Amino acid sequence: MTTRRIIACLDVKDGKVVKGVRFLDLKLKGDPAELASRYEEEGADEIVFLDISATVEGRKTLLEKVRETASVLSIPLTVGGGVRTVEDVSNLLSNGADKVSLNTVAAENPSVVSMASREFGAQAVVVAIDAKRVGNGWRVFVRSGTKDTGLDAVDWAKRVEEMGAGEILLTSIDRDGTRDGYDLELTKAVVRATKVPVIASGGAGKPDHFLSVFRQAGADAALAAGIFHDGVIRIRELKDYLKDAGIEVRT
Amino acid sequence: MRAIVLNYGVGNLFSISAGLRRADFEVEISQEPKEADLIVLPGVGAFSAVGNFMRKWEATLNDLRRRGVRFLGVCLGMQIMFEEGNEGGKTRGLGWLPGQVDLIREAPKLPHIGWDSLKERSPCILSEGLDGKYAYFVHSYVAYTPHPPAMTSRYGVEFPALVCDDGVAGTQFHPEKSGETGKIFFNNLRRWLKA
Repeated sequence: MTTRRIIACLDVKDGKVVKGVRFLDLKLKGDPAELASRYEEEGADEIVFLDISATVEGRKTLLEKVRETASVLSIPLTVGGGVRTVEDVSNLLSNGADKVSLNTVAAENPSVVSMASREFGAQAVVVAIDAKRVGNGWRVFVRSGTKDTGLDAVDWAKRVEEMGAGEILLTSIDRDGTRDGYDLELTKAVVRATKVPVIASGGAGKPDHFLSVFRQAGADAALAAGIFHDGVIRIRELKDYLKDAGIEVRT
Repeated sequence: MRAIVLNYGVGNLFSISAGLRRADFEVEISQEPKEADLIVLPGVGAFSAVGNFMRKWEATLNDLRRRGVRFLGVCLGMQIMFEEGNEGGKTRGLGWLPGQVDLIREAPKLPHIGWDSLKERSPCILSEGLDGKYAYFVHSYVAYTPHPPAMTSRYGVEFPALVCDDGVAGTQFHPEKSGETGKIFFNNLRRWLKA
C-alpha cells in the first residue's frame, strides 16, 4: 500500500506566500523557495504551489519563482493557479513543475484537460475542485471560489477523471482556513466515486483531522497551508502521530 | 563527472538535471547520444512515444555502450531498456535487459503515484543504504523480468524498482524526486561509475 501523503501548500501572490480565510483576508507568510525547502526538510511528501496573483506583473514572476522553488526541492512539485492553455501547462512543466493543477479552465474549457493529459500523461495533470455545500450536495465554484458553475462536485470529479485527470485536489471552500477539520463527507463521496488519487484540502487544524481524513474518508493525501506556516503543527510530529495511529506514512 | 540527459520529448528534464547537479554532476541536455561518463534516459510518458527515437539512435546507443559508456534509465527510461513494451501498442525496446513491460497487475489505483518502500533483493553498489527507504513512484507500467532486480517495491504486485547489470542501471522510482533516498542513490551512482 502506498503511503498516505502530507502535502504543504503555498498560496503565492506576486511572488510571496500568503494565506487567507475562506479565500479572503490574505496575509504575507514568506518566500516560496525558502518555505518549500523547509517543508521538505520537515518531511513533507510533496509541495503544491498555487499562484493567486491577480495582476499581470504578479503572473510574470510566476515562472521564475517556480524555477527557483523547483531548484531547491528534491520532492515533487505541483503548480497551479491561472492556467488557461496547454501551452501554460507545457511552460510550467519545463520550468520545474512535476504536475500542473487545473481549476477554472477545467470547467470553462474542459478540452484543455484532455489535451494536456494526452500530451504530458495523466500523472502530470491534477484537476482542482473547489466545492461548497449547497443543500444536500456540493457545488463546484471557480474563479477563486467566486463563481458558481452549477456543477455537482461528485459528478464533476467523475467527469474530470474520464477526461484524463491523474489526480484530484479537492478543497472545501466552507472549511478553507477555518481549522475546523476537513469536510469528511465531501472527501469520502469523491474518493468513492473515482479511482484516481484524491488530495483532501481545506480545514486542517490539528493532527486528529489528518487521521480522520485518511481513516474515515479514505483520502490518498492531505494538504494544508496555514497550520504549517504558523507552526501550529510540525510535519515531522504530525507524521509520527499518524504512524503511531497505524497509518502508513513516509518517515 | 559528465552526464548527458537525453531529450526525446517526454518528461521533466528539469528535475532529473537538477538532481544530478545537486550530486555534483556536470549536466548537458542533448537530443543526441554522445560520449560521457553517464548517459541518462529520463522519462515520464508512453513507451511507444520513444519508439522513433530508439530506432533512430539504437546503433549509436549500442556502440556507446560497447565502448564502456554507462547508462541510467529512470522510470520510462528504464523500461525501454527491456525487450518489449505494451504501452500504446507493442513496441520493441533496446533489449539490454530481458523481459517485457506491461500494466501493473492488480493495482489498487492507476497511475501508481506516491511513496513506497524499497526492498533489497540482489544487492549492488547502487542499492547500498536503501533497504527499507521510501522512494517516489509515478507510473502505470512495470517490467516483468527473469533478471533478478537489485531492489523491488510492491504495489498490487512486487515489481523491479532498481535494476543493475553490466554497465546499465535503471530505477522505476524517481531518484530526483525521492528526497533523502535520492541523495543516497546519486552518491551510490558516482561510486558505481568509478567502479
